[in-house]
Amino acid sequence: MVAAMSNSAAVAASTWVTTFLERLPAPAGELEAVQWRGREALSRQPLPSRRQEDWRFTDLAPLTALAPVLAPSSAQVGWPEPAADVFRLWLDAPDDLLNGQSLPAGLSILSSDEVQQALGHTLAACNCEQHWPVELNQASATRVLALRVSGAVVPTLELVSQAAEDGVMRPVRVLLLLEEKASLKVLQIQLGSGCSLSSLVMEAHLGRESTLRHGLLALGEGQACFLGHLAVEQEPRSQLESVWASHGWALSRFEPRVVQVDGEATTSLKALQLADGQQLVDTHSRVEFRGPEGQLDQLHKAIADDRGRSVFNGAVRVPRAAQRTNASQLSRNLLLSNQARIDTKPELEIVADDVRCAHGATVSRLQTDELFYLQSRGLSASVAAGLLKRGFCEEVLRALPAAAAAWRPLQRMLGED
Amino acid sequence: MIRPDADTLLEIVDLQARVEDKPILKGVNLTIKAGEIHAVMGRNGSGKSTLSKVLAGHPAYTVTGGSVRYRGADLLDLEPEQRARLGLFLGFQYPVEIPGVSNLEFLRVSTNARRMEKGEEELDTFAFEDLVRERLQVVQMDPAFLERSVNEGFSGGEKKRNEILQMALLDPLVAILDETDSGLDIDALRIVAGGVNHLASPENATLLITHYQRLLDVITPDYVHVMAGGRILRTGGKELALELEDRGYDWVDQELAVLEVA
Amino acid sequence: MSSSTSVGDLVSQPYKYGFVTDIETDKIDKGLSEDVVRLISSKKGEPQFLLDFRLRAYQQWLRMEEPDWAALGHPAIDYQEMIYYAAPRQQEKKASLDEVDPKLLETFDKLGIPLSEQKRLSNVAVDAVFDSVSIATTYREKLAEHGVIFCSISEAVKDHPELIERYLGTVVPSNDNFFAALNSAVFSDGSFVFIPKGVECPMELSTYFRINSGDTGQFERTLIVAEEGASVSYLEGCTAPMFDTNQLHAAVVELVALDDASIKYSTVQNWYAGDENGVGGIYNFVTKRGHCRGDRSHISWTQVETGSAITWKYPSCVLQGAHSVGEFYSVALTNNRQQADTGTKMIHVGPHTRSTIVSKGISAGHSSNSYRGLVQIGPKARGARNYSQCDSMLIGDQAAANTYPYIRSQQPEASVEHEASTCRISADQLFYLQSRGIGFEEAVSMMVSGFCRDVFNQLPMEFAAEADKLLALKLEGSVG
Repeated sequence: MVAAMSNSAAVAASTWVTTFLERLPAPAGELEAVQWRGREALSRQPLPSRRQEDWRFTDLAPLTALAPVLAPSSAQVGWPEPAADVFRLWLDAPDDLLNGQSLPAGLSILSSDEVQQALGHTLAACNCEQHWPVELNQASATRVLALRVSGAVVPTLELVSQAAEDGVMRPVRVLLLLEEKASLKVLQIQLGSGCSLSSLVMEAHLGRESTLRHGLLALGEGQACFLGHLAVEQEPRSQLESVWASHGWALSRFEPRVVQVDGEATTSLKALQLADGQQLVDTHSRVEFRGPEGQLDQLHKAIADDRGRSVFNGAVRVPRAAQRTNASQLSRNLLLSNQARIDTKPELEIVADDVRCAHGATVSRLQTDELFYLQSRGLSASVAAGLLKRGFCEEVLRALPAAAAAWRPLQRMLGED
Repeated sequence: MIRPDADTLLEIVDLQARVEDKPILKGVNLTIKAGEIHAVMGRNGSGKSTLSKVLAGHPAYTVTGGSVRYRGADLLDLEPEQRARLGLFLGFQYPVEIPGVSNLEFLRVSTNARRMEKGEEELDTFAFEDLVRERLQVVQMDPAFLERSVNEGFSGGEKKRNEILQMALLDPLVAILDETDSGLDIDALRIVAGGVNHLASPENATLLITHYQRLLDVITPDYVHVMAGGRILRTGGKELALELEDRGYDWVDQELAVLEVA
Repeated sequence: MSSSTSVGDLVSQPYKYGFVTDIETDKIDKGLSEDVVRLISSKKGEPQFLLDFRLRAYQQWLRMEEPDWAALGHPAIDYQEMIYYAAPRQQEKKASLDEVDPKLLETFDKLGIPLSEQKRLSNVAVDAVFDSVSIATTYREKLAEHGVIFCSISEAVKDHPELIERYLGTVVPSNDNFFAALNSAVFSDGSFVFIPKGVECPMELSTYFRINSGDTGQFERTLIVAEEGASVSYLEGCTAPMFDTNQLHAAVVELVALDDASIKYSTVQNWYAGDENGVGGIYNFVTKRGHCRGDRSHISWTQVETGSAITWKYPSCVLQGAHSVGEFYSVALTNNRQQADTGTKMIHVGPHTRSTIVSKGISAGHSSNSYRGLVQIGPKARGARNYSQCDSMLIGDQAAANTYPYIRSQQPEASVEHEASTCRISADQLFYLQSRGIGFEEAVSMMVSGFCRDVFNQLPMEFAAEADKLLALKLEGSVG
């Protein structure tokens, strides 16, 4: 049964939004209009409740326990040196985002007119421009990194945001327009610690035959919360490969949404999410094919340990226009503790007869026979379990852009640092 | 075996056909009599596979002209299943997988449909199993394949053997084998060809569609036809196939070019 | 060419059970109130505990709202415009079949369920329910010799009140959901089966439900109890006449299996589905749940759902006993404007419980066919295992097939596995079969039954062939 929100909780939720809005500085800057819009929407739309199907498994208590304010950032804690083929941008930089650097060939900043025109377009196409986490970002983000991508960009674009101070909120907004045949590798690093809130909204429009390789590494600590939205529109023969990994947040909710506007595109989504301690990690993905001959290959992996909770909801929509779609989705979950919990819910909606759609889900602990095999070769049970866990994670982490290696994702996620 | 007094089984006159809006067959003429083995050769796209599908009644092809008479009656009027019941058999280049439908059941239903047409009695499950086990030997197939779904998970060679097994059960008068040799290793080819030779008799006829000589090394044709541009360009004996093997298809292209200009 | 028939045309065979039997009925005026609930109870001469049960359920129902989460499109149901009790007018249930109104016997004859001594099915005992009332049960004496009770639930209330009081509402509580509460308040009849300890029921049991009145809601209630070591196989069939209004069918089925008991419950549902434009047809909102209360108990649901305008049904198993087993095998076929939202819940409570789900959905026409399932592994279900397989077959590009398998696990020493796929009948597959002499309709039927084989294999032998035929019939004319 659906957990009903008690009256006092409802009051608390509306107070949280009011307080949050009151603490925001007056709207200003290039996103002033968007901020007004977002604030207005938030004041009308209280926190999502677990009575809404989309939020049924997502307890927002860790979020409402925070009292975030916008504050300038100073810290770059624990960042590795960028590798030679990496162009790094600090998205919380107090002044100019570029900080005097010039963009690599193929990347250019959109003019404010272009931003006006393009911002929010993909969110609307993905039907999520009014989602609560999106409005939260729109209400507070004061700038947007808006880039046009032409031709093949050689270096990996690394976008880093870090919320390391207690009580701070870091909204990040990114817009990428990939022209026909353009290609780009982007690695996003989202770091959070203390009682902080990281909010990400990224839109990407992939022109015909363009390629976007996108990696998101979201690593939190303590009470930090992360709310992320990725909206991608794909034109025919474009390729999207998005890989995300999340761990350590008190609450992490990531919502990737992909629309193949005329089909014929290739989408690959890979994810790894870990929940231990009291963490809740949640992915709600949605892929929609609006034309024929689209492809989707989705692998979602999760590990829940201690008292952690992992939620996955993966929607795939194949309407009548999407004949000859080939989509597969696999949700693989490891449940490692009897206080942990896994909720997984694929959703396949098909109205086209000539399609191949398959999905699968498994929930189990580590395979006994695999453990036994390693133990029979002299490994202790805990070493064997560690190896298998690593293997489970690496399948996804290996697919992150190579630049991710510098951030040592495996070691940090498995606590081997 | 060519016998002047043999019955005419299949008579194709000026056959024209298209798929969607694309004309493929542009006037095919071919007569096949009992006891004969014909080979139709040609490059990819010459129309030879289309010819086999049109003869079997594939719904994707539309006949736009000409006629086909099968044992004196109009073939083109008939549904595909009627053609099969009357003894026209198409061995598919790419046999279709049908998950869930048991191979044994499928073979039994189709064999009985053919038997009923011939005025023979239907075979019950037991009698049919005896028959199928005997015919399995023609293609040296493992009885385990009977328990699986139709062609599902079969290798290329297994699928082709399953085709010849069906031919052995349906006892056709005209068997059209579309690229039966493609994708077969030498042993499988020998088994399949052995099956075809075993089933050939003075009462029936075989139409082989192929573009390699190697099948004709093991099944000797009485006639070889060269197809190009949706027509039969030349007809000869088995030596024509050897000539093709020697000279390649370039001269066919040249002849075709002359023809298309004219 | 095969232009003359297309798979599309194959689906729409006329409904052959659509006739109405002209018989006088005893009805309570339409509308629902506490008085109506009391009247139903008094017409049936029920003991106080049952009246109390009904009244409590009625009060709970008043406070509940009709659910809309399944997103089923249907006009609002006016619960005051419905008749809650209709019984063919005949005196007390007859001791002998010879005294039953011949019109009723004839009705069941026409439905293929002969009840008379000479013609009745051998080895299947049948309880025939006409509108709200059970009119005859065959083979009662033979079953009684084995201690098996098989009768209408009204008779059970009179003859075995202690069993009813002990088990009724213990699997599906009256406040479980809106329709279960409604049923608990107004249920009129249904079947009762009791298999005592250690008895293997000597024959198949079957209930055949027939809705006849046009404005009557059908609220039957079925309760099956298998004591320690007992086993039974039970089958229900359903048909209704064609009306251009919608009738509500809100049944509740409760199964209880004690230690080592086994219950196999099969349904062949062929309620009137409405016409090709979606006018008329039954709203089939049914709550079915089995409780594996005992260790090593076993409950198996098999359903073949082909009828109803809207089906909303999730036969479920609560696996409480250690090593208990739950199974769900389903074929749901929708055509025209039908909507089916069906699936199961497997609630693993006890250790080493196992469940299997095999669901085959076939959507044709403009219909919508959804599988919605829940596999829940509770914290105490050590060693629990589930395997689910949900396949959809789409016929034509106007039909929808949706799959919502939801998995929740709180037990690391458990494994859950779900697989789903979609397929269609391709023109190439059809041509291949045709080119081997197999006619178009038979080819479609072979492929559909091949698709459903895993489920049909679970049906009692007597009914497997029937289900096969029913599906072929329903699909006539729809593949193209």
